[in-house]
Amino acid sequence: MLTRGLLTALLLLFISTSMNLFADPKAKRKTASESSGAASSDSYMGLTGEELWSNNCLRCHNIRPPTMYGDAQWDVIVHHMRIRANITGKEQRAIVEFLKSSK
Amino acid sequence: MKIHGCFLAALIQAALLTIASPAARAQEPTTDGYVTRKEYEELKAQMLAMKKELEALKKEKGEVSKQESLESHAVADVQKQVAPKQQNAESQTAGDMHKEVTAEAAPSLAELEASLLGTTKFLLAGWAEAMYEQRNGQVSTFSASFNPIFLWELTPRILFDGRLEIEPSGGGTNVNLVNAQISYLLNDYIAFGVGQFFSPSNVFVERFEPQWINKLPDRPLGVYHGVLPNISVGAQVRGGFPIGPTRADYAFYVSNGPTLSTFDARTAGTLDFNSYTDNNDDKAIGGRVGFLPIPGVEVGYGFETSKPGFQGTTFADLRALVQSVDLEMTRDSDLLKGRINLDAQYAWSKVDHAVYDPDGSLGFGPLPLTAKRDGGYAEIAYRPTKLDVDFLRNLEMIFRWDHLSRAPSGLGDPEEDRWTLGLDYWLSPSTVIKAAYEWDKPKGERNKNALFFQTAMGF
Repeated sequence: MLTRGLLTALLLLFISTSMNLFADPKAKRKTASESSGAASSDSYMGLTGEELWSNNCLRCHNIRPPTMYGDAQWDVIVHHMRIRANITGKEQRAIVEFLKSSK
Repeated sequence: MKIHGCFLAALIQAALLTIASPAARAQEPTTDGYVTRKEYEELKAQMLAMKKELEALKKEKGEVSKQESLESHAVADVQKQVAPKQQNAESQTAGDMHKEVTAEAAPSLAELEASLLGTTKFLLAGWAEAMYEQRNGQVSTFSASFNPIFLWELTPRILFDGRLEIEPSGGGTNVNLVNAQISYLLNDYIAFGVGQFFSPSNVFVERFEPQWINKLPDRPLGVYHGVLPNISVGAQVRGGFPIGPTRADYAFYVSNGPTLSTFDARTAGTLDFNSYTDNNDDKAIGGRVGFLPIPGVEVGYGFETSKPGFQGTTFADLRALVQSVDLEMTRDSDLLKGRINLDAQYAWSKVDHAVYDPDGSLGFGPLPLTAKRDGGYAEIAYRPTKLDVDFLRNLEMIFRWDHLSRAPSGLGDPEEDRWTLGLDYWLSPSTVIKAAYEWDKPKGERNKNALFFQTAMGF
């Protein structure tokens, strides 16, 4: 059973990597100056707050516009989503900073 | 002689007064509105003198003010030259001090402020949905539910989240507590949680279950059918961390664990993950490890090991193991003019060999069995987000395959495969209208094909 599980995991990894061929070249990594999001050079892969917001949230659901909630509400939402999505504290702060600055 | 002297003195005084009186009159101010020539001359002389003095004073004052002005200009120039340097130096010093003070004091002040009563942050979120289902062999029905989520940030480190599921049932309303968890954030990479939480190894339950997120009206097989744990009561530790240019995440937990079904022939050997109170002293240990090789892609491996048998029975020492693999991916594509989501999870469960109903008293034994079951799903969705037409941009097409192996005893539910085709229309990022058709063919039974319409709104 373990062997079958590992083989399936490898297959899924292969599929995911293959699907990257369809990726939008423009959607690939932007520099901090190109992005309107808050720079977060110390975050995962040096992505900006905007990119972290897009990458992490879109993986599960549609992203809601920054204007949909107030600053205090975004604080609470992203704080909780940090736990659910297993993002780091630095990423959480970069995302919140971006959401607050994008209104 | 004495009288004569006095008389003489009086005469002299009278004569003097007579002589002096015109001069005295000329020096006295007039009371009839006229002045003498002498008085006029004297006043004129006084006025001229005063005029001269006034002009002299004016001249003097003008010179003084001019000098003051020159001096003030000079001072201003000097200030201009000196002040910026001084200000810069002062402001730099103040800035450095501010930085030092802020760095030391700000976090503690923020924490202090956040810990005060009345400054905690609360948010009511959740979703609502209504659905129509018409399934072959069953009566068609409408259903609805309201799922409030309570999010509370008591301090920047202590959080609470809880969810209720409220739905009409029979002649009343069912209210279920879905999860209630207190979390403590130790640092940027570690969070602790205690309470009733979504099992981390069940990715669908933890991430996609809300009906404004789940792209199809119903839920995939395997997720709630005794293969994967869904809700756990216990404690967990979780978080994420970068590994070079990639990222990993983890979640490990200890919980009450599942209960082994032993009394019913149809379900013998299956695991009941909906039993939230424990049936023995053993605790289940489980978790999931995820890896994100590139942004937007995650693969994961989950497991749970437990002793699911009732304490004091012959099943008490049996061990159950559940393992799963999963994939979540989102890509934007110019080539395909839109966005693709691919989600998949497959799980295997196994319970050690045992003999169920060994004495035949339950009517189906003795039944020797190593209970194995597996199930999972794969779902792909496409939304043409890069087209120019609004109506088309809001459409999303979904295809899902899901599978569940037969019940371990061979006497219960048969193997089942389903293919579901769905079409969604997004009214907003979290409001959707769904239509789907499901081809459902349990092995050896007639089909259970179904038509669904659903609307869901997240808030």
